[in-house]
Order: sequence, then C-alpha cells, then structure tokens
Amino acid sequence: MAEKIGCFLCSGCGIGEKFEMDDVVEAAEELGVSLVETHETLCSKAGLELIQGKIDSDGLDAVVIGACSGRDKTALFQFPNVFVERSNLREGVAWTHDKDDEDDDDEVATQELANDVIRMSIAKAKSAKLPKPQTNEMTDRIVVIGGGPTGISAALSAAEAGKEVVLVEKEDKLGGFANKLFKVFPRDYDIAAYEKIDLDGMIAKIEANDKITVHLSAEIGRIVGAPGKFDVTINKGSDKIEVKADSFVLAAGWKPYDATKLSHLGYGKPNVITNIEFEQMAKEGKISGDLESVVFVQCAGSRDDDHLPYCSNVCCGASLKHVTYLKEMNPEIATYVIYKDIRAPGHYEEVYKKVQKLGTLFVKGEVQDVDEGDEGKLNVMATDALLGEDLFIEADLVVLATGLVPTTLDAELLHLEYRQGPELPQRDYGFPNSHFICFPYETQRTGIYAAGAVRMPMDIAQAIDDGAGAAAKAVQVSELVREGKATHPRVGDFSLPDINFKRCTSCKRCTEECPFGALDEDEKGTPLPNPTRCRRCGTCMGACPERVITFENYSVPMIGNMIKAMEVPDEFEERPRVLVLACENDAIAALDMAAHNGLKLNPYFRVIPLRCLGSMNLVWIADALAKGIDGIMLMGCKFGDDYQCHFVKGSELANVRMTKVQETLDRLMLESERIRFEQIGINDYDKIPAMWEDFAEKLEELGPNPYKE
Amino acid sequence: MPDEPKMPIPELGDAVVESGGSTLYQCMQCGLCVTSCPWRLVEGEISEEFNTRKLQHMGQLGVEGYESDNILYACTTCGICKIRCPREVNPIENIRALRSMLVGEGSVPNAYKPVIGSLSSNGNPWQGDPKTRTDWAKDLDVPEFTEETEYLLFVCCTSCYDARSKKIARAIASILKKGGVSFGIIGNEEKCCGESVRKLGGEETFQELAGHNIELFKSKGVKKIITTSPHCLYTFRYEYPELDGEFEVMHYTQMIEKLIEEGKIKPANDLNKKVIFHDPCYLGRHNEIYTTPRNVLDAIPSLEREEMDRFGKDSICCQGGGGRIWMETNPGERFGDLRINDAVAKSANVVATACPYCTIMLDASNMSVGKEDLEILDIAELIDQSL
Repeated sequence: MAEKIGCFLCSGCGIGEKFEMDDVVEAAEELGVSLVETHETLCSKAGLELIQGKIDSDGLDAVVIGACSGRDKTALFQFPNVFVERSNLREGVAWTHDKDDEDDDDEVATQELANDVIRMSIAKAKSAKLPKPQTNEMTDRIVVIGGGPTGISAALSAAEAGKEVVLVEKEDKLGGFANKLFKVFPRDYDIAAYEKIDLDGMIAKIEANDKITVHLSAEIGRIVGAPGKFDVTINKGSDKIEVKADSFVLAAGWKPYDATKLSHLGYGKPNVITNIEFEQMAKEGKISGDLESVVFVQCAGSRDDDHLPYCSNVCCGASLKHVTYLKEMNPEIATYVIYKDIRAPGHYEEVYKKVQKLGTLFVKGEVQDVDEGDEGKLNVMATDALLGEDLFIEADLVVLATGLVPTTLDAELLHLEYRQGPELPQRDYGFPNSHFICFPYETQRTGIYAAGAVRMPMDIAQAIDDGAGAAAKAVQVSELVREGKATHPRVGDFSLPDINFKRCTSCKRCTEECPFGALDEDEKGTPLPNPTRCRRCGTCMGACPERVITFENYSVPMIGNMIKAMEVPDEFEERPRVLVLACENDAIAALDMAAHNGLKLNPYFRVIPLRCLGSMNLVWIADALAKGIDGIMLMGCKFGDDYQCHFVKGSELANVRMTKVQETLDRLMLESERIRFEQIGINDYDKIPAMWEDFAEKLEELGPNPYKE
Repeated sequence: MPDEPKMPIPELGDAVVESGGSTLYQCMQCGLCVTSCPWRLVEGEISEEFNTRKLQHMGQLGVEGYESDNILYACTTCGICKIRCPREVNPIENIRALRSMLVGEGSVPNAYKPVIGSLSSNGNPWQGDPKTRTDWAKDLDVPEFTEETEYLLFVCCTSCYDARSKKIARAIASILKKGGVSFGIIGNEEKCCGESVRKLGGEETFQELAGHNIELFKSKGVKKIITTSPHCLYTFRYEYPELDGEFEVMHYTQMIEKLIEEGKIKPANDLNKKVIFHDPCYLGRHNEIYTTPRNVLDAIPSLEREEMDRFGKDSICCQGGGGRIWMETNPGERFGDLRINDAVAKSANVVATACPYCTIMLDASNMSVGKEDLEILDIAELIDQSL
C-alpha cells in the first residue's frame, strides 16, 4: 500500500476556472497525503520536472495527478517506480460542468464533485501497490498449425523475426487447399489472366529456412501449459513428438460447406457439382469445351439462414474465375450466373467487368428447382427479380458456389488440456474470434492466434497477409510474456491476480467465468492459475463471492475505499449521489468524448473506472447503498451476439450478476430501480447527458436513500 | 406463377452487341438508369411499362416482351442514364441496336412508317417536297455554297419545312450575314442528316442518307459545317466520320459566340425579358456544350437570365429525341409540360432553347399548360432581335 503520496493539481486547460482549487487542496490534505502541489500546466516540462523532483526529494511511492483524463497524455505522465493515479479533473469536472456564479447550488455541486474526484483518487492510491513484474523464461519457439499459404506465410514471418518455428501439416505435403486449385485469383492490378499459384516457390523458402521444422502427415495430439510454457505433443503416425513453445498460429484453413445439404439446388443429381468440384475438374482437364450452357448458382447455402448465414467472400470471385475457364475454352458456351448480389471488392471489380464483357448472363434471383430434363440436360427454374418473372434455363452443367466453413467448427484440432475445454470456444459460426473488430487474430485462448480462412472467409492473397499478421501477434506475446507484461488489450500491465487460497471455497465461479480459460482447477475445484494466459480483466475478481482474488493495483477493497471516500450529504440537503461504475474501454472513453464535445453532465454522479464490468463485485453495490448513495449506474459494453466487450463477456457477466443483486436490495428494503445497467459504445457519447438525467429524475421520484447518515 | 417461365435465347444478346449495342453486357443491374430516366417524372402508361434496365436485361437474355411501342420505343435518347451509368453502359446504343434488329425484320411501329417512307422518297421526314427545301430562305438573299465559301450552313429538315421552325433558320442566316461570315447553303440536293431515323432503328435508311450527304458535301468541297440543330451536329461529329465523312462541324450558337467575342456583331437592343434556358439534350449531354448558349444570352442587354431547377447535365428532355417527335404521347406524360411548369413557376417571359425539336415540343406544352405571356424562342431569334 502506498504510504507517501504526492498530490499534484493542474489548473490549466480551464480546470482552475470551474472550482476553487484551494478547496480541492484542502480535501486532499484532509486525507493525509504527504504533499499537495498546484501548477498551471503540469504537462509542461516544468510541471513534469516538479513531479519527478518531488518524487525524488520526498521519496514518494505514489502520485495522484489531478489534471486531464488518464486517457490523455499517457506518454508524458510516466514516472518509473511509483504508482501513478490520474485524477480526472478536466474531462470529469471542468469540461462537463458549469460554474454559475448566479446559482449557488451549481457552484457547490461542481466544487463537491472536484473534491470527491480527488478524494477517490487518493483513496485508490492509498490502496494500491506498484506491481512487480513476474518475468518468464521463454522457448522462443512458435508452432504453426496448418501448412497452406497462411501457415507458410506465418512460418516465414515468425522465422524472420528470429523465432524457431515448428510447422504442423496434416497432409503429406505443404500447400493446403491451394494444392487443389487450378488457378488462383489475380493478385496484381494487372488482371489480364488468372495465375497458377507458386506453391513450389513458397515451399522452397520454407525448406531453405533452417529455423523452420516441418512435420507432414502430422496433427496436434495435445497442448498443455500457457504462453511461454506450452508443451505440445505432435502425433505423426504412431510417433509422438514433444515440443515446447511460446505461442501458436492457428492456420488450419477451411472446408467447403457440405453440399449434400443442398439437394434443393439439385446436388446429388448428375451434372450438378460444387465450385470445388468444378475447380478440380478444371485442374484435371475434365471440363468439356462442348458444353452449351452452364448455370452458376451463387450463395449456394450461403447468406441463407437455413445453412450458412454469412457471406463466404470468395464464391463470387470463384464463379467469375470459372466463367473465364469456360469462355477461354469456348466463347460460345452460354454462361448464367444466378446471384443475390455480386460481391467483387477491390480489383475483383475489374474481373467482374471483364467477365460481364464476355457475354455472361447475370440474373439477380434465386434458383427454385433443378431437375433432370431430356437428353441429359438439367432444367433450372429460377426467379428473375429484374424481370419479375421466372426463367427456365436448360443447362448441361449446374455449378453450386458453396461457401467456406472454418475447420475449427465442431472439430478436434487443438486438444487443449484446459479446464474450459479442449478446443477454442465456438462463437460466430465456428470462427474462433475473440474480438473481431478491435483485435483481429485474437482467440479466446491467450497465445493462440488465428489466421487465414479459419479466422474469416478470405482469399489467398488476404490469407498470406493474414499469416504474417498473426505471426506478429505470436511473436509479440512471446516478447511481452518474457517481461511479465499483459497482451491485448491491457498491453504492458504487470499486475496479476493473487488468490488467497486459505479462504477459497473452491466454488469454481472464477474458473468457469474467466473469458480466456486462464484458470484451470484441481480435483477439488480449487483454481490453478496460469499467469501467462491472464489478460488482467479482473473477471475472476468480480466473480469471487469470497473476495479472495486481488491485483496489487486493482482490488475489491480499493474500489470499496474509493466509494467510501465520496462525501454523501445528508438527505435534507437535496443533493443526491449517484455512483457510476464504468468500463474503461468504452464507457470512460465515451465520457471523455462527451467532455471533448462540450456536453454538460449532471454534477451528482461520481465515476469509478473499472478494467471491465466483468470485474464488478456485488459487494460494491451493497457498500454504496449502505453508505446512503441514492443510485448506481453500471456503464458497460454492448453484449450479445455482436458484443463489444474487449474481454468477450465481461458486461454480460455483470448483467447476470445484477440479477442477483435483488437479494441485497430486498435485505436493505430498497427499490430495484436504484440500480441501472446501461450498454454504451464509444460512439454513444452524445447519449450520456440524457441517460444520466433520466436516471437522476427517477431517483428524485424515489426520494433519498434512507440509509443516509 | 403469373405466366409461363421465360426461356432465354442468349444468341439474341450477342446479335444486339453485333448491331452496335456493345455495352449490353456491362450492366451490373444497379438501376441508376431507371431512377434517372425522365419517364419517372411523369405518370401514365409508358412510365409504368418502360424500364431501361429491364429492357436491356431482356435484350441480354433474349426473352420476348419488350417489342411494344411503349417499351422499346419509349426512350427519347436523352442520355441522362448514359452519363450517369457507373459501368459506362450506353443504353442508347443498346436500345438503338434492339430497335434496328426489329426494323431490319420489317417490324416498324406505325408512327414511323410515313417517316421512313418520306425519308426514302423525299430525303426528309416531314413529307416535304425536296424542291421546296430552301423556301425558308425566300427574300433573304442567302448565298449558295460555292468552293470559295468557308462554311456550309446545314439547316435541319424541321426548320426547312415547319412553319414555326423556318423562322429560326431565317434568324440564323440573318445573324451570319450581319456577322460577315462566309457561308452558304447547298439547297435542295441535301437530305436529312439521318440522326433520328438511326435512333429509331432505321439503320439502312440512315446509311443511305449519310452516304448521300457525305458524297454531296465532298463533291461541293465542304470542309466546315454550321448546323442549326444539335442533332445534325451530333451525327456529323460522331457518326459521319465512321462513314468516311470528316468535317469540321459547329453548332450555330458557337458561331454566334465567336462573332460576339470577335466584336463582329454586338447585341445592342434591350429586350427587357426574363429568359430561362432549356438545355437541349443533344447540345448539352451529347455534345457537351453548356456554357456557350448561356454566354450568348448574357451578351444581350437587359436580359435577365434564369436557370430551371434542373439544368446543364441534369436538364430534362423535351421528349422529341430518339424518334419520339413522331410518336403521340398522352397528356400528362409529356416532358415538355415539366419544363413549362418550371418556367412559369420562375415567372419567365421566354423559354430559350437551341434545337428545333425542343422548340416544337415546348411550344406544344406551352399551349396546353403554359401561360399566354410565355414565349418559346430560339437563341438565334433573341440575338437577331437584339442586333
């Protein structure tokens, strides 16, 4: 716990104009800090030197900087070996509140807010300790699973970054699905011709690299451990190869959607084939130039709620490619493409235009029936949205453009010996994303990074880039873990959860709720931490009913002390108090945005940033209500299918916990409306003033919390 | 299912391409042509039936049902879809090719039979006696084109035979004379330029007319041509060269602009009128002449010039192009009404234009929906009044 705290207050950026700084100084001094200094511009060279000078001369172990939001000027306010708490007087007070000299209430409210903001920060600093890094010995080895273009690219990139690479491929040669392709999409802006992919060249680079070991006809048998200390068993026939590794690139690719489910499009009838089958026939020279008419059916089982709801990205391009195969053989072949939308982004647009000019007939519509007709022909019935009528097409061949399914879907690939199961959690149709928008490549298992078509539908050119991207993440985790630092999103955080096992009841809440499977458990259910898997979200801390999980710089008592540091006026003064527990990833950012956009906020709300709402412990709610705080608002990320939580399900868990808060309220005989859960994204900043006002009105209706002193 | 399913005949699409619809397959079916089309601005039978995108799609697939007057022959070739198309499709050429295939088979809409007949026998679409082609120039002392003449003044058939339109030809000739331009007319040997008959699908007729004119012009030693109609301008500029007829062509408004700039004529008489300019499709979108007519009008003293709500590239067609001038359009579906309403709303005294078709179509609309004190005048008439 910090003992010598220096408090530094900045009056720049208009902060000093909205309240009496002397009052804030007094509030800080009352809490027994070692020193309080004020400055006109703390972020200036002189200001920073003042802070560092006082740290050195007074032997401070923590500094509270009352200035701008902690999201701003992060690079400037760095002081080694002391705990730094940024107290948000600028966005949190000065920029979101007015000082109206005519209105005493307003003036008092803003002053009280500023005083509370600094009190809460001091309480936090008092409860905090500077975490000591737990460094790790690393193996400097990365295992790449899958030897297609993605895996090859990842292996080469990781090796180039200096890591040893073990490349595991289940087939007897490298190349993956690309081995099956006749030609690949053009990758240059010169789209004159489809190319044959240079797999041999790529494989030769792998073979020539002495940092890369390749295991063919091999699969992962077992993965035990955590980043920096994975024990990997590779099964190669009856051989078992044991490898130690820091991290993984999962480049296991895709499989075609099961066309036997597409009997309504004629699959199973003669001359109805998939695009994959067409490609293979083309490679083997088995497509006849004597065909008269070929129908391509786009979105065959894609963008279809009964099959794959998503767009597989490459099927439009594949059919455009297949049309050119046919037209190059014989321009007289009538080619029909029946589509929902042609999706041809980037330079595929040029391919699309080229194929149009070949006289391809594009029909926006849907195939209704494919039946066997006379003389081996197929009778295709389709709607034509543009004509508003049905079309009847006699075809020699019907090609179903089926979509991509990640190999992770319902598969046994990784065989993780993790308490939360042997494979990656299945979200988003089996694609192993953890946070698709903000953190590509991340899975829900720290140290395992997905790349290529297993991550999302993509073409070879994208997959090659993707392999390099995921390799960079695998290298990064190796370097961060070596120093004891967290990976995304709390990059560089040294703190780790500390479990007081003496008081642990082995209830398994933490081991179940950890979004990243960081905690295994023994036979009794007691958690077995794997520190290098931890992302420091604090979900375990929020889950623990015994409150035995703490971080050195983030704990249940710390937030509890911050709540206690607030001054709650007695009920007769009509100045309510509302506690806001806000996620620092989106809600805090949104609050800052509100300030930057000049929005004004209710002055009775007190904001405490949380690492994630998943770390919210119910005891805070009870503490706050018992103290006489009138209402509590939780501001977390959107949850559900398109969740925004950086830790996958923190806000969702907090919401579940809130359903249990009713007990507490009943015990205290308080109304459930005193607690509100708001889902908020960073771009919802403009909604905050009304959101707060609405809650304030409701609380006024309910009247003061009877527990006020 | 309302009807029997349609069976595509892909060969038809290929035939359209061969007949000049070279961009037929480039359509990505976005529908911008449909929403841009002026038929969307009116309500009625044709507006309900005619759909540029659908028509072209039928052409691609070779399915039947597009051959009626209301569908295949609705397009006025105004070109707004062509300049807006994100895929560089030229619907005008595609529709022209579809029409030419039908006309080639002898299937001509009734309204066009006399037109094509008159073009073959008289060399003009208006049943006019070829001997009276130059009657418009009576008493004007318009010189005949000789080898010493610099410019051929090519007068549109409409201004040769239509009583109202003759005045435009007279005004143009008068201005050229006042400006001291070396010009002359060939006279009765000339035939129609063929622009409109080609658009309505009369490819063979067009080839005959153009061939005749090119030979005639060459035999007379024509190098430079001033046209009175932007339609003639278009075909001389863009279509005759393919038939080995290369001439330096300009629209008369361009000559007037030049004469004013060079100080050879000076509009001096006050007109005290509020004039609103209607961009003819063939002057604007097809020949990209937008500022010239405005500069010419602005040279007239005390003329207050106003713009329509839609002008320049967005101008709305008068409905006279693409052969529509010879087709009947029901009241309520006439584009000219939209222009007159716009002019009335802006309290204009004159709608000025620079195309004989526009003058006819706007005059007709002015009579039905316009106001008595609103006049439709050609720019040449305004300039001539001011000189």
